[in-house]
Amino acid sequence: MSSARIAILVAAAGALACGSKGSSHPGFQVAQGDNVMPVSVAGVHCGSSPYVNEPCVAVTVCQPGTTSCVTVENVLLDTGSFGLRLFAQALGGLSLPPVTVGQGEVATCVQFADGTSDWGPVRMADVKLANEPPVTVPIHVIDATFGTVPSSCTTPETGPSAQNGMSNGILGIGAFVEDCGPACADTTNPQNLGAGLYYAVNGSQTVGAAVPLASQVQNPAALLPTDGNGLIVALPSVPASGATSVEGWLVLGIGTRSNNAVASATAMALDGSGAFTTTVSGGAAQGGSFADTGSNGLFFDAPTAIAPCAAPDQGWYCPASPLSFSARNEPSAGLPGAPVTVPFQIANVEALSSRGAVFSNVGGGSVQGAGFDWGLPFYLGRTVYLGFYGRTSPLGTGPAIAY
Amino acid sequence: MNPTVPARGLAALAVVAALAAATPALAALGERAASVDADRAALGATRRTFAVRQAFQVERLVTPANTVREYVTPSGVVFAVTWQGVSRPDLGVVLGAYAGPYVAEIDARGPSRGRRARRVEVQGAIVETWGHMRALHGRAWVPALLPAGVSVDELR
Repeated sequence: MSSARIAILVAAAGALACGSKGSSHPGFQVAQGDNVMPVSVAGVHCGSSPYVNEPCVAVTVCQPGTTSCVTVENVLLDTGSFGLRLFAQALGGLSLPPVTVGQGEVATCVQFADGTSDWGPVRMADVKLANEPPVTVPIHVIDATFGTVPSSCTTPETGPSAQNGMSNGILGIGAFVEDCGPACADTTNPQNLGAGLYYAVNGSQTVGAAVPLASQVQNPAALLPTDGNGLIVALPSVPASGATSVEGWLVLGIGTRSNNAVASATAMALDGSGAFTTTVSGGAAQGGSFADTGSNGLFFDAPTAIAPCAAPDQGWYCPASPLSFSARNEPSAGLPGAPVTVPFQIANVEALSSRGAVFSNVGGGSVQGAGFDWGLPFYLGRTVYLGFYGRTSPLGTGPAIAY
Repeated sequence: MNPTVPARGLAALAVVAALAAATPALAALGERAASVDADRAALGATRRTFAVRQAFQVERLVTPANTVREYVTPSGVVFAVTWQGVSRPDLGVVLGAYAGPYVAEIDARGPSRGRRARRVEVQGAIVETWGHMRALHGRAWVPALLPAGVSVDELR
């Protein structure tokens, strides 16, 4: 498997090296409170075999209205998706009630850009983030054995595996509320009910089904009573040589409490897909660019070719010596917000990965037209504010980002 | 030639191997443009035709889930398809004979969840996918069928 190599090197390094921990950056101070959740990058919440720049949290899930709960460790913190998805295996004996539509139990197929999918039923759960009040919300139980998997749901994941860092699921806390939105609630096109994401399962029969917004899988952070307008990801910086792990914070709400006011940050609105425009010095403007804790590098089409790593890691950059870049981020056309200049470096990930698992300066190529994917390295040493769609915060009406 | 890599790899699954077999030969890529109508019907899409330039014509198929564009040479062959939306179109419909080999290749590689883009080459076609939830994109083309003077970067 092409992906395994760097991940395995890192796991070994994490176990053996006495390498440095991440250091604080100026302003990296989070006052504790009921709205603060620890985030590990390749650290304590990631289990024993994290991959490079893997951000992990623990999430507590309960049967609605009861104290029957399971705390699931090693859940990927992902601002590139919306909603909580947990492998059925991670839920123990928890019995979560189904969400139904007329034709049967609601199930969903989430397609990832790598061509793989997560399949399984949508269930109601009380989700507890930090010490916030529980939110009753539809979640996705990832279960490739549920009903009949539709043919459009290609390569569904079957469970945690060593190759995926033994991750138990994904906490999608990006800028939108539902994972699909109006397209999946549309009832006017009988051939496209559920838009390829939502289905009704009745025995062995699986059919596309329109699902109202309230029954779609939703970002639990956006449903919090007081702190549902957005969040802050605050991760410490790491030296250019990297760190074995870092521990940081997810702060829920923006400007709703004394510990989540906006300090010095420049805000810009995000477009309808959560994107902005990035121009790397010497290159063309790339629309569709986005900030994403669930990506583990800085992935972009470089203006001048950067040497790729040797196979099987040729999707990563391996320059002979570190390269410095400057990029300009600005809102998509017509949206409010000020441009921000972001300097960054690209170093040789193979040389680094024997020394740790957290790096601010690793990345790789992308496909032409895909935009700049500002993955986890972007978040190291920054306090990044994310305003949710349709919610008002000091950033304005979301979706919006500030840093 | 296959920039992928990243973080996670997962065991491939056999569950979907049926895709190629289950999908009739409606598909567009590499086929005669007449198949666009079959695709429109199969996708439940509305169709709009517009000529971008002399070298090719674009057929746009729109549904609530996504917008598919099929690129047709003057001689009537679909040489590329692109899509964007909340989900992929049915690969059997848009990739046709290439769908089975493509899915088999994804099965073999498994997930790369730390990445949001992937390029796959199968049987003379190139399939690139990128994006994230609510904004999935893809582009597939057969380099040997590209009309003279046309760059794949024109296909949006």
